[in-house]
Amino acid sequence: MATKATPEVRPGIDWEEETGSSTKLEPGFLVICWNDPVNLMDYVTHVFQVVFGWQRQKAEVHMLQVHNHGKSVLVRESMEKAEFYVHQLQKYSLHATMERD
Amino acid sequence: MKFIQTNRGKFVFSITPQEKGLLDEILRLYPLIPAEHHRLSRKSNIVQPNDHQRLLEESLAARREANRKNVQAMLGKAGHFQTTDSGSQLTVSGPEIEWLLQVLNDVRVGSWIALGSPDTEQDKKLVFNNKMLPHFRMMELAGAFETVFLNALSGH
Repeated sequence: MATKATPEVRPGIDWEEETGSSTKLEPGFLVICWNDPVNLMDYVTHVFQVVFGWQRQKAEVHMLQVHNHGKSVLVRESMEKAEFYVHQLQKYSLHATMERD
Repeated sequence: MKFIQTNRGKFVFSITPQEKGLLDEILRLYPLIPAEHHRLSRKSNIVQPNDHQRLLEESLAARREANRKNVQAMLGKAGHFQTTDSGSQLTVSGPEIEWLLQVLNDVRVGSWIALGSPDTEQDKKLVFNNKMLPHFRMMELAGAFETVFLNALSGH
């Protein structure tokens, strides 16, 4: 059953004028994993799970993108985070790079 | 090598003397990927790319050194291997499997690079000759051990 809505007044809260989100202003970096035919599919899935903390299903989706399309954009992040992820992926010998979005 | 069970958070594998010899052979090859193989970016559209590339190389060098010490400890330490009636058992923790996977895949990818990075989709065929055979053997063996460890982690 629907109830009649009454206007809610919240004193003391000053909303800041929207000036544009930080994601619009900050340059983003894409972390990309490229296909190397030598890496085992289960291995790539495992590494994605370990590095990003993803569930197996999500990791498999990206692994299949790498396998079928030659690459997968894994995340879009700030430069520092993207760099961190590339370091982690390369420690597992995956072919990963970061590119400016 | 075969996964048997988990025991107190550790993974127990049965391993024959021949398999242990092969695993030792692979581990002794580490690291195999040339340091200059790793690139941070393809397009170099990052500010101060050389500084960031240097950071990547330092980070990977530190990991290689840590993994090399782990390998030496495993090869020299009897604690990971226990002799049984049918051969040996290898007992390793989850974090130990992680660095083992890194080491094995380094040898696998390094062997693949030594083979000329063959890729059938790019029409870069594998050339077989006596010089290439050891690299091919190591690539396949490292992959086989990786599969056993991955299956154990996923409960198979």
